Amino acid sequence: MRWKFGFLAFAAGVALIATVTSATGAQKLDPGVTAKTIHIGGTFPFSGPAALYSAIPLAERAYFLYVNAHGGVNGRKIQFTYYDDGYDPSKTVPLTQKLVEQDKVFADYGSLGTAPVLATRAYLNAKKVPQVLVATGDSYWGTDYKKYPWTIGWQPDYPGEAKIYAQFINSKIPQAKIGILYQNDAYGQNYLNAFKSGLGASGQSKIVSAQSYDVTAPSVQQQVVALKVAGANTFVLFSTPAATIQALVIATKIGWHPTEFVNNVSATETFMALATKAGGNVEGAITAGYVLDPNSAAETSKPGAVLGKHILDLYDGGKSIFDTNDMYGLASAWTMVQALKNAGNPPTRAGLMQALLSLNLKGNPWLYPGFTEKTSATDHFPVEQLVLARYHSGGPAGIGSFDPFGRVFNNTH
Amino acid sequence: MRAILGRLAICAAAAVVLALLPFTLSGLNQVLAARVALYFIAILGLNIVTGYTGQISIGHGAFMAIGGYTTAIMSADHHTNLIATLPLSFAIAFGCGVVVGLPASRLSGVYLALATLALAVSIPQLTLKFSHFTGARNGISVDGTVGYLWLYGVSWACAAILFVVAWLVLRGRTGRAFRAVRDSEVAAASSGVSLVLYKTLAFGISAAFAGVAGSLFVLATNGYAQPDEFSIFLSLYILIGAAVAGLGSLWGVMGGAAFVALLPNISQSAPLIRSIPVGGQDIAAGLVVVLVMLLLPTGLAGLLQRMALAASALRRRSGIPTAERG
Amino acid sequence: MSVYELFGRLGIRDLGARRISTGASVPVLALLVAGAVFLAVGSLMSSTFAELTVSGVAQGSVFASLALALVLIYRATEVVNFAQGEMAMGTTYIAYQFTVWGLSYWAAFFATLAIAFVAGVAVQQLVIRPVQRKSVLAVVIVTIGLLSLIDGVVLWIWGGDPKFMPAPFGNSVYHVGGVTMSLTDLGTIAVSIATVVVLWLFFQFTKLGLAMRASALRPAAARLVGVRVNWMLALGWGFAAALGAVSGLLTEPNQFVLSPTMMQPILIYAFAAAVLGGLESPVGAVISGIALGVFLNLLGQYGGYLKDSALRLPVAFAVLLLVLLVKPSGLFGRAAVRKV
Repeated sequence: MRWKFGFLAFAAGVALIATVTSATGAQKLDPGVTAKTIHIGGTFPFSGPAALYSAIPLAERAYFLYVNAHGGVNGRKIQFTYYDDGYDPSKTVPLTQKLVEQDKVFADYGSLGTAPVLATRAYLNAKKVPQVLVATGDSYWGTDYKKYPWTIGWQPDYPGEAKIYAQFINSKIPQAKIGILYQNDAYGQNYLNAFKSGLGASGQSKIVSAQSYDVTAPSVQQQVVALKVAGANTFVLFSTPAATIQALVIATKIGWHPTEFVNNVSATETFMALATKAGGNVEGAITAGYVLDPNSAAETSKPGAVLGKHILDLYDGGKSIFDTNDMYGLASAWTMVQALKNAGNPPTRAGLMQALLSLNLKGNPWLYPGFTEKTSATDHFPVEQLVLARYHSGGPAGIGSFDPFGRVFNNTH
Repeated sequence: MRAILGRLAICAAAAVVLALLPFTLSGLNQVLAARVALYFIAILGLNIVTGYTGQISIGHGAFMAIGGYTTAIMSADHHTNLIATLPLSFAIAFGCGVVVGLPASRLSGVYLALATLALAVSIPQLTLKFSHFTGARNGISVDGTVGYLWLYGVSWACAAILFVVAWLVLRGRTGRAFRAVRDSEVAAASSGVSLVLYKTLAFGISAAFAGVAGSLFVLATNGYAQPDEFSIFLSLYILIGAAVAGLGSLWGVMGGAAFVALLPNISQSAPLIRSIPVGGQDIAAGLVVVLVMLLLPTGLAGLLQRMALAASALRRRSGIPTAERG
Repeated sequence: MSVYELFGRLGIRDLGARRISTGASVPVLALLVAGAVFLAVGSLMSSTFAELTVSGVAQGSVFASLALALVLIYRATEVVNFAQGEMAMGTTYIAYQFTVWGLSYWAAFFATLAIAFVAGVAVQQLVIRPVQRKSVLAVVIVTIGLLSLIDGVVLWIWGGDPKFMPAPFGNSVYHVGGVTMSLTDLGTIAVSIATVVVLWLFFQFTKLGLAMRASALRPAAARLVGVRVNWMLALGWGFAAALGAVSGLLTEPNQFVLSPTMMQPILIYAFAAAVLGGLESPVGAVISGIALGVFLNLLGQYGGYLKDSALRLPVAFAVLLLVLLVKPSGLFGRAAVRKV
């Protein structure tokens, strides 16, 4: 009797399992998607020379947690796995393989740095895994889409930004004698070349000196001295944050007070505040931006800045200072959530790419007010607007702000 | 004779295991096993110059960079078959090794070590200067993609071939000359061994091994070569592997290679470490390296030696004659 | 009987000899004099040259103090300490923490030196001593492990984003005859020279200093006269760590921010300086460090084809290799005695 009952129970169990598996099998979910979750992941530098960008993935995680607490994406919670690659492509590759093959993520989201993204692009495209909203301003992500249809960037590209500085100098500073400091690699040269072509033939004669530096050098003192000696009165920096801070402080210390242009990735309020504290005079430094400045007097009490601070207080605890890197993370994550919402239900990888290639988003709370994110089958650059901003030191909490001025530049790519 | 047969049997068994292994491994673990192979080759090369010839090099990352860029550039610009680039890497790295080794033979000890360090730091910088060929910090990718099983097969085939090469070099006349240089330069010179010739030769062979390892390293990085991959830390990793392997033993090298390849995985999966969000991996890796050195200061080679001594002592005590040592 | 007499009786005479001799030969001294004259003439002719020279000396004195730390450890343990840069970086973070807690810069500075000293002794006793006599390579690897460990701990506690410390010398600038000099540069030079002098006095004129030198150079003989050699070697590590801390604390005001990677390039140049000076020679390390700093600064401005910033490191090392080929044991080193 007992045996018989056992057998019946066993048979019933088998039948049950069979029906359950066939039911889920029929749905055929993409990897990383379950009835309750969507798993995405990315690689970021938490250590090494680019570790100062680690605020970005932490802000992104904070926004995903906030979305999860408010019901998730079509009822699914976002699970965000991030790994530290130290900005070294030979580490990015195995970590990305791990994300795809072991963690089985739905998409590689927000991975940071040109070289790390280049190193994994062919692999992810071969596996048809979306590599989306990568955090680098090179233009490959928007131009190479025929060969790499699963990759897309987000932010305005570096050449577009450089051309805006050139335009501004041509029209507003006729007496400019331009001195340029640039990093001696593709990043710096991309900026430099676009800047030169933006100046045009007549504008280029205004360049009195262009000095390069290497990231491994302990100091950029010699380069800054050389620019001063060359008689420059307009200082254009295409550099990374550590060198930027050094250069700005050294300029003040050697008694050089040019008009300063700082490229976007180095121009956060935190870096400017560091330069100020170290004795640099960076009042009035100009940059081109696209995300909201939470410290700007015009923005600090607006809904975007307030909500951003609220989210970061809740989920990225202990931060006392918010800057444009935090806003970058929130703005990028917001875009990702919008795309996931439109990626189908259940979401599919193809659906996600489709959603990202038909963006028409207004009202990202953390982009500069009025900026839009638009893409199409032929336009793979989500954010293509920039506005110039001037640094004013000493806002709330002792930190300054970049206050936008002038018109908005559209279609910067 | 029996000893040689025994070793051949061990080699054959190892070959069979390595040939069958990939079919039980997931894709990720195939890559990991391929990494073991490439570190095996690099450490083997370093062992030839350090363990057998007594010259310390901490710049083998430089030769790996030379090999890696050879593969990437030949494939990207000239569409050379990837396998065909490997002997080329071997040859070019050998040439560079000789060019470096010739003046380096004047230096010894720490001076040589730091001269090679200078090389390891300079080579990635030079790729920035010659960006037309190397793509500077944006790197350069091989033509086409690299499959896991292919990578595994090629890496271990290279490892096997180079293992035999190392064995042939070290067991003969050349190997005796190397060891003579290591044990006493004056004695070696007075018995007719050319110090410059053999020091340079050892450096060249060692560099050639590193070159092939560098090619495989780039292939294991999705075929993407970029200067940041060849930072000074790569050279230090190879050195750690050589220390764990122990100097002067071909068999310890496998353990050293596995240690270096698995170190990131060990440190990622350490339970306590996972609760440390940033820096945990570095802490774990550092602790593991320090602990291993405290426990095995002479590496696996030292451990094997001690085990062999203990075993023969045991046999002697129980009256079994010990096998002749060949 | 004084310690000096004891050593005299045991035949350790070269300890005394080292007090005067720097190991430099006549050509090397001539080279140095020529270099100094060149810098002086150049500085008089061009204010840019003078500014670059001053800031080069400041940068070089940071290399020098770290190079000196390497030399101290090399003399005590016969290994190159790869963790020297990260030890300096870690102790600078400790100083940063003190300033966050409200200590003044200089209070934090000296508190940190004390902590660095204790940490150096602890490192030697805990992880170096057990492997020291077994294998030189093992000691080197242990220092590499320490490098990674310290990196990780700093990232864990303070994170990778840059931190700010108040400037020790203020932000003012001097103008001397058209030459602009920042107080930071002058302060950097003054502090590193003061540190080197204090250390030199200690080693030359105290019994403890003598015992430490003896332990490094003639451990067996030192043990015979009752010197506790192991503790002396540990103290050597302590001094090296403190000296490294000075270089870290001087690097921060030169780079204006504190970051976990800040000492990595400095360490590479410090290695070069130590080797150039001859590894066993403190004087050599200091002079080579300063020379390297000035050389790099001037190379960038007047180097012609070689002034490309990507070539700075390779050119510096090419010069180093050339020197080594002519003098395989460095400018101030003694020719190694080969044992048969």
